[in-house]
Amino acid sequence: QSMSLSVTSAQTAAWRQQIFEQLTERTKREMDNFKHYEQAIEQSVWVKKGTM
Amino acid sequence: MADDKDVLRDVWFGRIPTSFTLNQDEVTEREAEPYYLLLPRVSYLTLVTDKVKKHFLKVMRAEDVEEMWFEYEGTPLKWHYPIGVLFDLHASNTVLPWSITVHFKNFPDSDLLHCPSSSVVEAHFMSSIKEADALKHKSQVVNDMQKKDHKQLWMGLQNDKFDQFWAMNRKLMEYPTEEGGFRYIPFRIYQTMSDRPFIQRLFRPVSPEGNVHTLGDLMKEMDPAALPNDGEPKRYQVVIHGIEPLLETPLQWLSEHLSHPDNFLHICVIPTPTD
Repeated sequence: QSMSLSVTSAQTAAWRQQIFEQLTERTKREMDNFKHYEQAIEQSVWVKKGTM
Repeated sequence: MADDKDVLRDVWFGRIPTSFTLNQDEVTEREAEPYYLLLPRVSYLTLVTDKVKKHFLKVMRAEDVEEMWFEYEGTPLKWHYPIGVLFDLHASNTVLPWSITVHFKNFPDSDLLHCPSSSVVEAHFMSSIKEADALKHKSQVVNDMQKKDHKQLWMGLQNDKFDQFWAMNRKLMEYPTEEGGFRYIPFRIYQTMSDRPFIQRLFRPVSPEGNVHTLGDLMKEMDPAALPNDGEPKRYQVVIHGIEPLLETPLQWLSEHLSHPDNFLHICVIPTPTD
């Protein structure tokens, strides 16, 4: 298919790899030193009982 | 080797450490301590700041409290832009935590939309999803969904439930294989140095000749000044979710993996830091 020919596998690897790496760096930069901060949205699990 | 699915999780669970400080002109009965929170990049300020409001109301009299709004270094923050967009646009490359000032009076009507309740955020969010689906599938997917499906998308965002959201959102990400992508890519390009709030025009993921359009193709067409000239230093960063994807990244892939929950690809063009 002509579409896929325009992006070689090497280029694909480069852009995809770049995104994975930068997201990992972003997590380090923005979150690693702030794990003690409170989450804005609580992740508590609410169990709704169907007794009505 | 990471998987494309991991990108969806990284995008969803991105957090901005933020310190909220009460505007010094507010009338308080005692000193207000700052409040610290991890804000989801993909959510909206007015949706995730109940705790902030509660914290500051403890030191204020009810008669001194009007609608809460937020400001960063003199810029009122538009709650109807995703939090990550506000941060990337106004505060990239600054020291964390992000320092936001909280106001309870003098609401800047000319800059901000009012947001009296979360149902206003819901209406804004759902209207963005519908607009995106009009671009991607001529509204066919969103119109085929039931009311409870729309609610599932909203509740997923509101309660930070990745699986609940994506169980439904994946339908909005489908497209016929033979077409190679969506009809048009829902995107917005933001620039602080422009009077226009953002650039949004029709752009297809694949050229008429069948070539895959890239982020660079989109920027060249919509905002060529954002791209570096050969041999010159880079003047602007093209930022999505706090990262700079390579300009050769296919736009369709970006739309599927780096769109916000509202199904738009929000792209920030910011000046390259000089230090």
